[in-house]
Amino acid sequence: MEADTMNAVAPIEIAQPREAPRSASDREVVFETRGLTISYGKAPAISNVNLAIYRNLVTAIIGPSGCGKSTFLRSLNRMNDLVPSAKVEGEVLYHAQNIYGDGVDPVEVRRRIGMVFQKPNPFPKSIYDNVAWGLRVLGMKDDLDGRVERALTQAALWDEVKDRLKKGAFGLSGGQQQRLCIARAIAVEPDVVLLDEPASALDPIATSKIEDLMHELKNEYTLVIVTHNMQQAARVADMTAFFTLERSESGGHGVLVEYDETPKIFTQPSDKRTEGYVTGRFG
Amino acid sequence: MAEQMRVTFQDELEQVEAALQEEGDYVLRALRAAVNALEQADAELADEVIAFDDEVDSRYFSIQEGIQSLLARQTPVAVDLRLVLAMLHTNLHLERMGDYCVTIAKLTKLVSDAEPDERLVQAFEEMGQRAEQMIRIALDSFQRRDLVGASSLVDLDELIDRANRRAVERVLDFGDDESKREWGLRMIIVSRCLERIGDHAVDIGEQTAYLVTGEFREFTDASHQAGG
Repeated sequence: MEADTMNAVAPIEIAQPREAPRSASDREVVFETRGLTISYGKAPAISNVNLAIYRNLVTAIIGPSGCGKSTFLRSLNRMNDLVPSAKVEGEVLYHAQNIYGDGVDPVEVRRRIGMVFQKPNPFPKSIYDNVAWGLRVLGMKDDLDGRVERALTQAALWDEVKDRLKKGAFGLSGGQQQRLCIARAIAVEPDVVLLDEPASALDPIATSKIEDLMHELKNEYTLVIVTHNMQQAARVADMTAFFTLERSESGGHGVLVEYDETPKIFTQPSDKRTEGYVTGRFG
Repeated sequence: MAEQMRVTFQDELEQVEAALQEEGDYVLRALRAAVNALEQADAELADEVIAFDDEVDSRYFSIQEGIQSLLARQTPVAVDLRLVLAMLHTNLHLERMGDYCVTIAKLTKLVSDAEPDERLVQAFEEMGQRAEQMIRIALDSFQRRDLVGASSLVDLDELIDRANRRAVERVLDFGDDESKREWGLRMIIVSRCLERIGDHAVDIGEQTAYLVTGEFREFTDASHQAGG
């Protein structure tokens, strides 16, 4: 075999092994919190949180009980408004607009930023009506059937329920009910979906389905998930924020310790406290 | 429940395995070029082989990183765990093969002015072909989870080991011929490199066996060699 160069031996094509991951900082920022402190009464629950959340990524919030991860999540669509003693300081910028600013309608905020809770909470209505409810309320009534089908399909539930849409939602399994709640949240075409421990009430198979679903949904939505299951964050999230409880005289408040790409958090965290938590040594 | 679950994890596993096969292709390319450079005393091609090792290394690192991420994030168990561990070892074996190709290329450059011994060069061509065949079988049986194919590497390795011993004897036959002494000594190392590539191919076969059976064992261990 004649071979004067390596190219003669075989063409050297440097194929990219996979699409180079775009670093988060190249992405569009959906949320940016600045000096965010939330207190219930006098005691701060979280203090001075500065964090950017990027479009079409799954961002996980992890940390020990009481570190304020749910409080943080709820601040992103003004769910804390429903707690009378809650006080918000600092800013939550959503596409550069402070959602706590004057004249911002919390209902509009929650239409764009949907939420799914720990315990599946379907309405005592039919499967169809659970998904159609928000659409009717918001006047998105054109092609209602089509919208319901799309939402159920996106939530990976359509095939399981298409023959019993008019049956009650409580007849579904826990995992199916949770996917129904996801369908309900995405039916109104939000921009962001917040998930507060969405799989902690589910068995491993239903959990796995929700996790697979999150990978699908991030193509279209920005997802933020609070989970006490560290491995779940490791599996599903692109970015991970670690919160911890900082003790103080008044008891303690949550602080953001570290925020980085998930593989970094789970292989080489920068902060000893993060390392202690993810290795299970303390926290 | 037959539907596919943990889709992302499976995708990531497949990506790492594909990258491993790609690394194997790169090693094959480097080996072929290294042997050709030796045969034709082509210092320029030898330089290309040396530079090309960066490509092998970059695959090596990206696979290492992929495996680190899989272990840290996906908690693989059972067959997935065995695959991850087997890929971790195989990756290192391939990278070492690439390094042997570089050594051959460097030695080729060192002796490019010397008069080669045609018989020995011919022997290296054959050893190179055997080593290449072994790499192909190692990669292919890994991909197909083929225990029989992986086990067949032991016998092939015996052939390359014999060729190595013959090469050493040939160099010893040069005796006092000073014009060939330096060339011969360097060629003993080339022969050794080709022989070691064969050993690493067998090691990949052992990883395939582990992947398939879950048992840790060597096909032959050093103290109880098949043959002699």
